[in-house]
Amino acid sequence: MNIAGMGMVSARGRGLAALEQALEQGWVPPGEVEVKGLPSGRLLVYAVPAEAMSDKTVLAKARRADRFTRMAVLAASDALQDSGLGATVDKSRLGVIVATALGPHATTFSFLDGILDFGDAAVSPTAFSHSVHNAAASYIAMTLDVRGPTLTVTHFQFAFQQAVLLARTWLNDGRCDAVLVGTVDELGAVMHHVCGRMGKPAADGRIKPFAFSAVPETVPGEGSVFFLMTRESTGAAYALLNPLVLSVPDVISPAHRGGTLQLLDTDGMAKDETAYRTAVIPGMPVAGYAPLFGGLLTVSAFQAAAAALMLEKQRRYASPVLDNPHSLSLLHETSNTPLDTVLCTKLDCTGRPAQLLLSLT
Amino acid sequence: MVEEKVLITGMGVVSAAGMNVAETLAGFTSGIRNIGRTTPALSPLDYPVFQVSAPLRDSGNAHSRTLQLAFHALDEALTDAGLPHDLSGLRVGVCMGTTVASQLNDMDFYTAYRKTGEPPMEPVEAFLKGNLAEAVAGAVKARGPCITVVNACSSSADAVGVALGWIRNDLCDLVIAGGGDELSRIPVCGFGSLSVFSHEPCRPYDRDRQGLNLGEGAGVLILEPESAARRRGSRSTLFVGGYGAACDAHHLTAPRPDGSGLETAIRVSLAQAGIMPEAVGFVNAHGTATRDNDKVEGGVLVRVFGAQVKALSTKGFTGHTLGAAGALEAAFTALALREGWIPASAGFENQDDEIPIGAVREKTAISARYAVSTSLAFGGNNASLVIGCGS
Amino acid sequence: MQDQTKEQQLTEIRAKLKELLVSNLNIEGVTPDQIKDDDALFGEGLGLDSLDAVEIVVILQRHFGVEVKDMEKGREIFRSVNTLANYIVETKQQGK
Repeated sequence: MNIAGMGMVSARGRGLAALEQALEQGWVPPGEVEVKGLPSGRLLVYAVPAEAMSDKTVLAKARRADRFTRMAVLAASDALQDSGLGATVDKSRLGVIVATALGPHATTFSFLDGILDFGDAAVSPTAFSHSVHNAAASYIAMTLDVRGPTLTVTHFQFAFQQAVLLARTWLNDGRCDAVLVGTVDELGAVMHHVCGRMGKPAADGRIKPFAFSAVPETVPGEGSVFFLMTRESTGAAYALLNPLVLSVPDVISPAHRGGTLQLLDTDGMAKDETAYRTAVIPGMPVAGYAPLFGGLLTVSAFQAAAAALMLEKQRRYASPVLDNPHSLSLLHETSNTPLDTVLCTKLDCTGRPAQLLLSLT
Repeated sequence: MVEEKVLITGMGVVSAAGMNVAETLAGFTSGIRNIGRTTPALSPLDYPVFQVSAPLRDSGNAHSRTLQLAFHALDEALTDAGLPHDLSGLRVGVCMGTTVASQLNDMDFYTAYRKTGEPPMEPVEAFLKGNLAEAVAGAVKARGPCITVVNACSSSADAVGVALGWIRNDLCDLVIAGGGDELSRIPVCGFGSLSVFSHEPCRPYDRDRQGLNLGEGAGVLILEPESAARRRGSRSTLFVGGYGAACDAHHLTAPRPDGSGLETAIRVSLAQAGIMPEAVGFVNAHGTATRDNDKVEGGVLVRVFGAQVKALSTKGFTGHTLGAAGALEAAFTALALREGWIPASAGFENQDDEIPIGAVREKTAISARYAVSTSLAFGGNNASLVIGCGS
Repeated sequence: MQDQTKEQQLTEIRAKLKELLVSNLNIEGVTPDQIKDDDALFGEGLGLDSLDAVEIVVILQRHFGVEVKDMEKGREIFRSVNTLANYIVETKQQGK
């Protein structure tokens, strides 16, 4: 299917210009937050800046929406706008699939605050109705007047890949002519604490995508990425996207490997990244852009957006962190070398892969 | 595309109406409503609820009650389908719906966090192992597509619809589709704050209905393309004929007053099934017994099917089981077609003049090839499933 | 004297209500002092909806200690800041 439009909200800002700038600029230091209950009292994070979420026009119908929903609405709206199809697409045949790993947990905890502070009989109905995972999809539908199917899915390991597979199903079925599919995950005070306790914070603020460590380091991130997908036969696109969920690692024939780049979704959020060593395909340059966005269970969407941009611009961006203990053939400098395929590889905790293959239209 | 029928080769259900299919059918026949009230262990609030009181099958690997409920229903469904619990030889997809189980909302964890700043991490670890579809896939060694749908009250109806799509797109040979939700303090407080509860047993579609009662449960359907099912020796004649879903794009908690989203969903499901509304023998309605839902839904059902269509809500027997509702009601719809009867719409006595359709007041014989099950959800999601029976 | 006290109470309650409505309902582009006492809160006025209505019930509970048991009566109570303030004062007086 076609990637006809993209939208992104991340620590590097909102929009594709911000994405492009991040890819050109490379790694920047994360921010720091105070976190109660951690020995150091602090955590390095890649948080979405407030100015990236300010838009009275797009968010006109999102008065009560929380950060989680606002990120998703902005990214989805931008993707539709970017596609140029907003005015012509039949909204009854436009679907929305929102993938999230952790949902709007900050609002869930705010709701629990209400129970603990005021009692079961005096909780906020607004907080409750916004703490359900599908609130974001609902707001996307209201903002863009989407009347087709809307679905919210969760999966800790392959949320984005599963969502993309479903989008293709809807397009193949003829259920939709276009699908807004994307991810959203957020940070928050409690999640800072959880990440600090359960993960291994990178003391130097650098996610190292090629360390393949048994105890990987991370810098938690947040954000939302959306893609407007259409069938392959339709119009212009950044790239074609083919989800190969749970496929064998080696899907690129040796003849193709010169024009292909492999992106590894290694962001330090998995318990163990050693299995990636055998997922690297020999003969192809390798990159990983998680250090730009932070560690998210849905980082695959950010990588896919980077891949689509590279294919459209025919520009390969240097991997932002080049620590290379396993002597991989890293993409270490930015250039306009032709590119026809990008393979985005993610592994689950058993080492099984889910891959997204992006190629030139 | 796989053009053949997608059969329902196995079903498992657990709710206040019964611990399995046989008990549930007996319960429907008896008309007894197993309704209790919230207990202090659940919440200090006092409301009627439909709790599953009997012990669940011990799966040994369930990290939450929702998972226990789901595994209980899964066990029955696999047995009913004549399938082993290890499905590693097949391309198996898992699509399950839930609401509460998707949230990190453990009260002990959060209370400790607020109090001490150093809460125990075990609840978080349990949460990270508790994704419903991932847990079910792990238990049966499924290696195909895997999604937990969190679409509020239509979650597991949508899960069945997703499963239908996966099979038709030849992504898997078999799908475990369903959903589960446990009774939990969060929705008790939350729905209470929205003023949608009834203080009495719920009365779907009734003139004097006051709101919904929460319930808990799980429903699981095994879906397979007909040729594969027959090769395995399945003799089921039940199938999922069509799925429609459409968003109201109206409001986070209120349905679109004209019901146009639901109407679209129903018509899409009928079109996929290749049938006209006249072919539908009855509708298992969402029927939560809130003033809004039943009025909007009733109006749509009349527009699409005419005032003579038989309608019922099984929520009078199960309560509103949130993420389990769609799958449970799809199973109840299939069972009704197979058994040749629909239960009384428990709680319905007097027709509401504002709703041009009434529900059935007693157990009613039906002879139909098709029926429809509808679901309306917070967020404006509307889902419709066409269930069929016969060769 | 009693009337003056009641009027003072109402003035304070109206001001507090306006602050709470703006902050708790996330109303943008309007400051509390821009809300007139008799402005319609729902529909064409401030544009609040059914979810705001149940949120206002919680505001009344948490910040004024009064309950709204019958949401049908709520339509009239919630019409404006004035009707809300009057309801609060009357209910508290009845409670004494």
